[in-house]
Amino acid sequence: MGNAALRDIAVIEEVPFDEIEGVVAVDAHNWLYRYLTTTVKWTDSSKYTTADGTEVANLIGIVQGLPKFFENDITPVMVFDGGPSELKDDEIESRREQRRSYEAQLETAREEGDAVAIAQLESRTQRLTPTIQETSRELLRLLDVPIVEAPAEGEAQAAHMVRRGDADYVGSEDYDALLFGAPLTLRQLTSKGDPELMDLEATLERHELTLEQLIDAAILIGTDFNEGVSGIGPKTALTAITDHGDLWSVLEARGAHVEHGDRVRQLFREPNVTDEYEFETALDPDLEAAREFVCEEWAVDDDEVARGFERIDESVTQTGLDRWT
Amino acid sequence: MFKAIVSAETLTSALDSVSVLVDECKIHLEEDGLEIRAVDPANVGMVDLSLDASAFESYDADGGLIGVDLSRLEDIAGMAESGQLIQLELDEETRKLHIQIEGLEYTLALIDPDSIRQEPDIPDLDLPAEVILEGKDVNRSVKAADMVSDHIALGVDEGEEFFYVDAEGDTDDVHLELTQGDLIDLQVGPAHSLFSLDYLKDMNKAIPSDTEVTLHLGEEFPVKIYFGFAEGQGQVTYMLAPRIQSD
Repeated sequence: MGNAALRDIAVIEEVPFDEIEGVVAVDAHNWLYRYLTTTVKWTDSSKYTTADGTEVANLIGIVQGLPKFFENDITPVMVFDGGPSELKDDEIESRREQRRSYEAQLETAREEGDAVAIAQLESRTQRLTPTIQETSRELLRLLDVPIVEAPAEGEAQAAHMVRRGDADYVGSEDYDALLFGAPLTLRQLTSKGDPELMDLEATLERHELTLEQLIDAAILIGTDFNEGVSGIGPKTALTAITDHGDLWSVLEARGAHVEHGDRVRQLFREPNVTDEYEFETALDPDLEAAREFVCEEWAVDDDEVARGFERIDESVTQTGLDRWT
Repeated sequence: MFKAIVSAETLTSALDSVSVLVDECKIHLEEDGLEIRAVDPANVGMVDLSLDASAFESYDADGGLIGVDLSRLEDIAGMAESGQLIQLELDEETRKLHIQIEGLEYTLALIDPDSIRQEPDIPDLDLPAEVILEGKDVNRSVKAADMVSDHIALGVDEGEEFFYVDAEGDTDDVHLELTQGDLIDLQVGPAHSLFSLDYLKDMNKAIPSDTEVTLHLGEEFPVKIYFGFAEGQGQVTYMLAPRIQSD
């Protein structure tokens, strides 16, 4: 997603959950979109629609998605995108938003081998509605999962937190995390099986590039914020950047143009992030309150969330032997 | 190099006590016997097993390491009738285990030990209470608790000097007290911890009713369960992490 062509460039390997520990700064919108899409696709809408017609499939998605962190002793910190941006980049921002929701649906549909579902999904998961935004945060608070509000891009903020050493990994399906300078990114946290670990330093070493050059190469291929240069794929982009040094020299040499090139570059190089955040990593979820919030206040069918709550409960009450080693 | 002959009962007891926790394990073929250490994927239950060379009819090994699929090996061992001997021989070239039981030959493909979960570090536990009791009393406690709950509390009453088992269900409760007289030995100390019966039930399957079992307990600490098999030439230590008690 984001820039899927980056997959060909990035150093990625599957890692068993046992080998992962610490704090994951999760790109919350990316994560939510994924669960929202799956829930909408697989669950009868009556299970998550209130009497007045408000849909809160996000609550089911969150309860299904969180146990994975708890069971593997990983602390998630949910990093939310900033509100409607006051930046001049509105056009760019909205474009990204649209693509992300679309990509999430597409990936789900692709995974399930079902193309028909896309249209149906699209209308309902296009945006994270204000209700979804609010109820997601409230449920996470009840479950004691830390929340960080990013000034702009959640993914950029998450990468910033890992660089500062406050988290160990960025959690995102998006390959763009690499461009935001995330040292280590966990992918497939929303899928079955083991996650993938994407390593920035190893990636730069493999291609003998600086991060700035990697960003330039990505801009040539195309990112969430810009169309790439026609005819340039991952291989060509890498060679061109290695040969010419940076984006502008490549464009000049090829007589090509990238719209908003300088702004996109700036977005990755100096994203709008903040140091103003704090969170605790020892989680003490209030499962009773969470269950009441989801099932009573928002009238979500109890059966849809019972198993998820049970899994969280089990993982917080059962200790592991590693506590004594 | 590894070549050994062992009774079906001894091999089965050893394998069963490990397979209740994991599907695959590494077996150390030491000069003086077999050693297995494994922990379940959730890191809640651990087994530390040793089977001395003297438990075998004959035993010859020089410190190799093999990985096995436990249920396959158990199935094969299950082909032996009571009293029959099982011969095991490692083919270093093909990395296969040749197994012979009264003319039946079975060649078992081994698993790359590196692909098996890492062996756990043994927790460093200083447990104040020690309870020695008969296997059948452990069997009975677990069975009774399982009728009413998913959890079981094990503890020692320091004042009255008895070991107790508590299980609280939604409607029914179970309580069992064993005093000095009922036990083989008791060393009192502060002890009360809650455990998952899912795990304890599995471990209990491997505890023979006629064996002596030693429990080491603390306050919200793992329990250590020790017992011997194969006439004391095999030793099993289980460790089980507690559940946090909400009240």
